[in-house]
Amino acid sequence: MFLIVFCHWLAKTHLGIFMRDSTYGFAVVEMGHLLSLAVFGGAVLMVDLRFLGYGFKSQSVSQVAQELLPLTVGGVIAMFISGFLLFLGGPVRYYHNPAFRLKLILFFFALIFHFGLQIVVARRGALRSSSSWRLKLSAVVSLILWSAIGLAGRAIGYV
Amino acid sequence: MPNLLHICQWIYATHFSTAIRESPYWFPTIEGIHTLGITAVVGTIAILDLRLLGLVMKSEPVSRIARQVLPWTWAGFSVMFVSGVLLSIAEAATNYFNWAFRIKLVLLVLVGLNPLIFHLTIYRKVNTWDVANVTPTRARAAAFCSLFLWASIIVAGRLIAYVNM
Repeated sequence: MFLIVFCHWLAKTHLGIFMRDSTYGFAVVEMGHLLSLAVFGGAVLMVDLRFLGYGFKSQSVSQVAQELLPLTVGGVIAMFISGFLLFLGGPVRYYHNPAFRLKLILFFFALIFHFGLQIVVARRGALRSSSSWRLKLSAVVSLILWSAIGLAGRAIGYV
Repeated sequence: MPNLLHICQWIYATHFSTAIRESPYWFPTIEGIHTLGITAVVGTIAILDLRLLGLVMKSEPVSRIARQVLPWTWAGFSVMFVSGVLLSIAEAATNYFNWAFRIKLVLLVLVGLNPLIFHLTIYRKVNTWDVANVTPTRARAAAFCSLFLWASIIVAGRLIAYVNM
């Protein structure tokens, strides 16, 4: 109940009206969303691959996670800001879109799962090998989650 | 003697092209793969470019990062190439007139020339600057061009649908 009221309120804000009515606003923000996706996705991919024992093998799992933290954290923040701006262009419409709902649910779950894991691993400097099946499983789950989020995002326009 | 437009129109009229274009399932799926594949190509090469600019993984030698990341970039590129060709086949006749598509193709050639020049020149001497505190100017220039060109390719690619008449 509160959510839909909040969406209606967002639609009437200055930023909301701008995103809805601007000729180039949506396109420019969407480009930013796509460019952030490139950097963020690549960093997540290389971190998860390292968990699986591929990619930057000369560095430890925690080293890779730590080194790429600016790209993964910075990237997801950029994704969130640009995504929120896109959402502001039609909050009520997106609220009712099942693909968008799925994307958000998956996104919040992925945030907790992926970054909770990343930060723990990055800080636990002693972790040298990725032989643990737990690490590998979490990497697979992470990759599936983020891919699903990406596909759900793509589906928004079709649903 | 058929010109390029005729060839594109011929491709557009084939059963294969039409099947992809008119399928509510195939075109979105291929396009989804193409969009997500951006992360595999641009995201991975960006890490190498950022290393050349001295912004990530500074403790690792440049050549080691290149050696470890490039196989994945190439794997991603093969996915992008196949999906891109399929999409281009599906929209052959309309893409012919699309300036965003044309610019994207030119940029793709340039983004291929950039690392070619890089590998044939400054990278040949990489063992002299592999762990240097500051990478050579020409290497940094190549990294900047790479990032700029890939960003432009992504923008041009997204504009294709906007420019469609």
